Amino acid sequence: MNPKTAPVDIREFLNKHLAEVFETMLSQTARPAAGPPPRLSERVTGSVGFGGEHINGALYLHLSAAFARQMTASMLGLPLEETPGESEINDVIGELTNMLAGGLKSSFCDAGAPCAVSTPAIIRGSSFQVETVPNVSQEVLVFDCGPNRFAVEVHVRLD
Amino acid sequence: MKILSVDDSRTIRLIVGRALRPYDCTLCEASNGEEGLAAAAREKPDLILLDVTMPVMDGVTMLTKLKENPELKTIPVIMLTAESGRENVLHIAKLGVRDYLVKPFKEDQLLEKAGRIIKLQKKDAVPAAPAAPTPQ
Repeated sequence: MNPKTAPVDIREFLNKHLAEVFETMLSQTARPAAGPPPRLSERVTGSVGFGGEHINGALYLHLSAAFARQMTASMLGLPLEETPGESEINDVIGELTNMLAGGLKSSFCDAGAPCAVSTPAIIRGSSFQVETVPNVSQEVLVFDCGPNRFAVEVHVRLD
Repeated sequence: MKILSVDDSRTIRLIVGRALRPYDCTLCEASNGEEGLAAAAREKPDLILLDVTMPVMDGVTMLTKLKENPELKTIPVIMLTAESGRENVLHIAKLGVRDYLVKPFKEDQLLEKAGRIIKLQKKDAVPAAPAAPTPQ
């Protein structure tokens, strides 16, 4: 494979795959949105890294804390009056991030760039951003799910 | 029937439990391959639902060790994986899994796959009465 060319169209793949994940696990419709990523005050970010001989990087799922709580309640089938705890939110958002990254990893492998994925990690806060380093390409995809806007960020380094 | 769910995600174990709740079966849980192996030896389940990417010991390592153990190697395994690529599918097929399920999945898909391997009977199902003898 050409080491400087991404093995798959990340944007095209994730637009489709994320919609499938949301529909299957949450029975919710997520659509690609135009415009900048949302400015989230209180944020929950799921991250999964991937690495192989020719490809390294990470996928981040950035959500508002309120939307993360809502998604968790939906996926766990909690009653409306029950608020999910932090560990439940971390687990659900981690698993959704894992599904997104697992799909992307598979598409890389099938395109000739084998790699492995890490277990998910969660970052919480209000004033952080993910910085890229030299030779890393960055894709930021913005989605709307009902009134909630969120973003998926993918960093890829090809060797 | 006894089913062992091995997954580091409590969310997935909860979804598995929710799917199986209407059925007459016992669900055991483990959160990584090491705990999964111990639970398999202790519980002798009729089916194992096994995640691939887990901390401590991943699903592929657990499956390999399971297949090396004469007492456990016949337990059927369904792999649950977020990786649907053909390379990954071929790899896990070679390890001797009975089936695999790609995340994201619906509960119905899980029940369909499990039902092909073990007999899942609803809790409230009344066993069919023997047919009455036909009058001569």
